[in-house]
Amino acid sequence: MKLIKLILSSLLIFSQTQANTIYDLIKIPNLEIYNLETKNKLRYLYAKQPFTIGVDNNINCFKSLKKDLDEKYLIIEKNLNRYSQNFLKKINLKYIVLCEDLSISGINTAGIPDNIMKTLILDIKFNQKYFERVIHHEVFHIIHDSYKDIFDEKVWSKFNIEAFKYAECSTCTKKVGLDTNLNPNGFITEYSQSTASEDMAEVFSHLMYGGFPENVDPILEKKINFIKSNLLKIDKNFLL
Amino acid sequence: MIKKIKASKSEKIIFIFLISLAIFSLGSFFLIKNKCLFVKNYDPQKISFDDPKNIAILNVECGNVIIELYPDISPKAVTRFKTLVSSRAYDDIAFHRVIKDSLVQAGDLEFGKKGNLDYGKIGTGKSGLGTINSEIDAPFNFVRGSVGLARTQKLNTEDSQFFIILKDEPLYETEFTPIGKVIYGIDALEKIKYLNKSQYVLRPDFIISLRMLVN
Repeated sequence: MKLIKLILSSLLIFSQTQANTIYDLIKIPNLEIYNLETKNKLRYLYAKQPFTIGVDNNINCFKSLKKDLDEKYLIIEKNLNRYSQNFLKKINLKYIVLCEDLSISGINTAGIPDNIMKTLILDIKFNQKYFERVIHHEVFHIIHDSYKDIFDEKVWSKFNIEAFKYAECSTCTKKVGLDTNLNPNGFITEYSQSTASEDMAEVFSHLMYGGFPENVDPILEKKINFIKSNLLKIDKNFLL
Repeated sequence: MIKKIKASKSEKIIFIFLISLAIFSLGSFFLIKNKCLFVKNYDPQKISFDDPKNIAILNVECGNVIIELYPDISPKAVTRFKTLVSSRAYDDIAFHRVIKDSLVQAGDLEFGKKGNLDYGKIGTGKSGLGTINSEIDAPFNFVRGSVGLARTQKLNTEDSQFFIILKDEPLYETEFTPIGKVIYGIDALEKIKYLNKSQYVLRPDFIISLRMLVN
């Protein structure tokens, strides 16, 4: 047994330093290239093994079966192809990481955006019902993080009635429903009421994916116009 | 009277095996000692180039590495590189970051100079000329032998450090500023000293000289 341990430890000691280009670039381990040949130059990567990152290693994600990846990739690429290369460059998004059972501090999440590292981690199995819409929701967080001044949360919050207050954080509330409100009353989903940022992301994702009710109330109307006009400030050619 | 004993067939085989082993061991010792033994050294004067004013000759222990520079792709970066080459700033500068079969990196003029190495700071040094903006928009195929300017995690921080990749790195496109490609002598770079457990090299190999073919 000791001999086996010795052999194993010597293998570790004498193993080569491996170049890990992906880790060097985006600081996420255990990733492989899924596809680089995309029309808007997004780079799709997948978890070949589970990975743990973040402060106190609080972000975890796991590898997926190839057939699940292949199936979800087509949906994700179709949706993300709606963003031009120029727009993606402006919002600082280049890498899409595909994995499943993504969580942050033990709470499952659809995606984790990081505009500094130009990366969006997507859980390919999160919320099958609203999967496509959620992709755009997560993209908005990248947009928002890159343009906090344009998508000002204080300005946004003033659209709501005075008595309304958002929660301290998106996980500090039980309002997590993603069903579209048919009578919105200022909020397109229940989750919209969590934080200003999530509210913006919900409006944006409905703009991208569709699904607004025929008649929207004046508050929601203002919010829609705010998102639309500010997107054009970033890229005058942005198409909804 | 001493009786002569004839060696058996198996004893003869063992004897021949031991002799062969000794010859092989001695031969290997001398072969291994010379790390440049099978590396071809290219003489740039014997090669004709289409664009000689954009040819740089990197001389390392195992010979010449001939690099073609691409000013059309990255004009500012190539200008910076040529400026430093012309001032002989890269002479005696360490290959401080080396990953076997993947990448060699050199060009820390502040902390990587032979005789004045600072292992605590190597890789962070500056040229004194300031940083330049990244030139990453033009399409560029980062294949084996491609030469690029190194930077920090942030864009627009390129200065004097450069790397040469020893394998294809498609993800480098639009991440790093390309300045050229090795067209002869890449084998000499595969002999640059590396460590097994670290990308940063203790007692590294050095650039002997780096010159433009045409001044």
